[in-house]
Amino acid sequence: MLQPERNGMAATPLMQGIEALLFVADAPLSAEELAALWERAYGTRPEAGEIEQAIAALNDVYEKTGRVFRIYRWGGGFRLATMASVSPLLQCYKQQEVKLSQTLLETLAIIAYRQPITKPEIDHIRGVNSDYAIRRLQELELIEIKGRSDTVGRPLLYGTTRRFLEHFGLNSLDDLPELPELQQLLENPEIQREHLRLLYPLEPEQDEPSE
Amino acid sequence: MYRVRLPVFEGPLDLLLYFIRRDELDIYDIPVARIADEFLAYVRLMEELDLDGVGDFLYLAAVLLHIKAQMLLPRPPAPADNEAEPADPRQELVERLLNYLRYKDAAGRLDAQVEARQQLYTRGAAAGAGDEVAEQGPPPLAPVPLFELLDALRRVLERRVEPPAHTVRREIYSVEAQMDYVQAQLQDGRARPFGELVAGRPRGFVIATFLAVLELARQGRIWIRLLDGREDFLVEACEATAMEEADVAA
Repeated sequence: MLQPERNGMAATPLMQGIEALLFVADAPLSAEELAALWERAYGTRPEAGEIEQAIAALNDVYEKTGRVFRIYRWGGGFRLATMASVSPLLQCYKQQEVKLSQTLLETLAIIAYRQPITKPEIDHIRGVNSDYAIRRLQELELIEIKGRSDTVGRPLLYGTTRRFLEHFGLNSLDDLPELPELQQLLENPEIQREHLRLLYPLEPEQDEPSE
Repeated sequence: MYRVRLPVFEGPLDLLLYFIRRDELDIYDIPVARIADEFLAYVRLMEELDLDGVGDFLYLAAVLLHIKAQMLLPRPPAPADNEAEPADPRQELVERLLNYLRYKDAAGRLDAQVEARQQLYTRGAAAGAGDEVAEQGPPPLAPVPLFELLDALRRVLERRVEPPAHTVRREIYSVEAQMDYVQAQLQDGRARPFGELVAGRPRGFVIATFLAVLELARQGRIWIRLLDGREDFLVEACEATAMEEADVAA
């Protein structure tokens, strides 16, 4: 069991190896992938627990020495990234990111919460043909085909990708913000006033229309 | 014909929600008879403008008309053995609307999530590697929802008095020509109400000018601002400085 020396901030070889890999990696690396790479290089395979510990120790060192890096857990893997505190500076360096349009966000939300889901089901929820949105989301590698439904015509089933998780800073689908229930929409004070107006029945009694 | 392609266009459920919000309707008690007619009037206007995706709107218009018909029909007295029979024909539509609202809300939460995530930079992203998620395509139409603009256009068209037809010659207006016209009108830097730009002109002129205004707004060359009461909207030239031209839809 590794025990990083907290006082002198001395790093173990495993910590250095993981730091180096996460520094050069373009996508999150899972504990499994880190262990396999280590094994290929050095012939011994670190336990998953050792890797977790090394990463915790690295984050500890970053924090204690005032570094701006942190290792985050996104999309089932680890990713080295900067902290939010330096984002204004980095934003100036990097070109402005274009946001996903409302159409794409809506479609993506439906797929994320209802996956695996077919296009007709998405169309039904949105009341609109989602061809364009689905194609764009596939191009952006945020969604992918997960198989075919057993219903008539065997339509394709769509689901989100690992890249989706990383893009939204989630480790797994369990981390998705909870899909609001109607009651929650009503109770949440942060919901916009129009929403409240929309959702709050003016006359609580359900009288049937008599025209 | 000039076709307006709007990849960020809102759908028919959004139009319904727009009516509900605008008129402060109770979502559980939608006056379908009125809304169906107005919905159809919007769809006709959209057809006239040759907007993309009108088919989806037509479908919902048909649903609304169907519900309207059901509600107008006399209801047979419910048989005693079938207690749960008199369901409100609007129920399914309301459920769809509410369900759609849930996902709209979820989309907002995802948007907040991605904003927080994007504060944390990875090496590849900061180096400008090509794998960043970025959406191509034209910038959002205008800081004003399209439905509100359509609303304003409809009022302008309703207000307008058709000039006496002295001639049967059919006027053809091109959007390109109207773009020049609008820009010429705005040259002095003053904001003008849309109604003023098309006052006393034939319907074809108004429609082509509206499309020209949409296109100019999309290209970032003019601003659109709604007036209070939404009777009309203001158009104003953007400052000519640093205005990079967005790609024009084919």
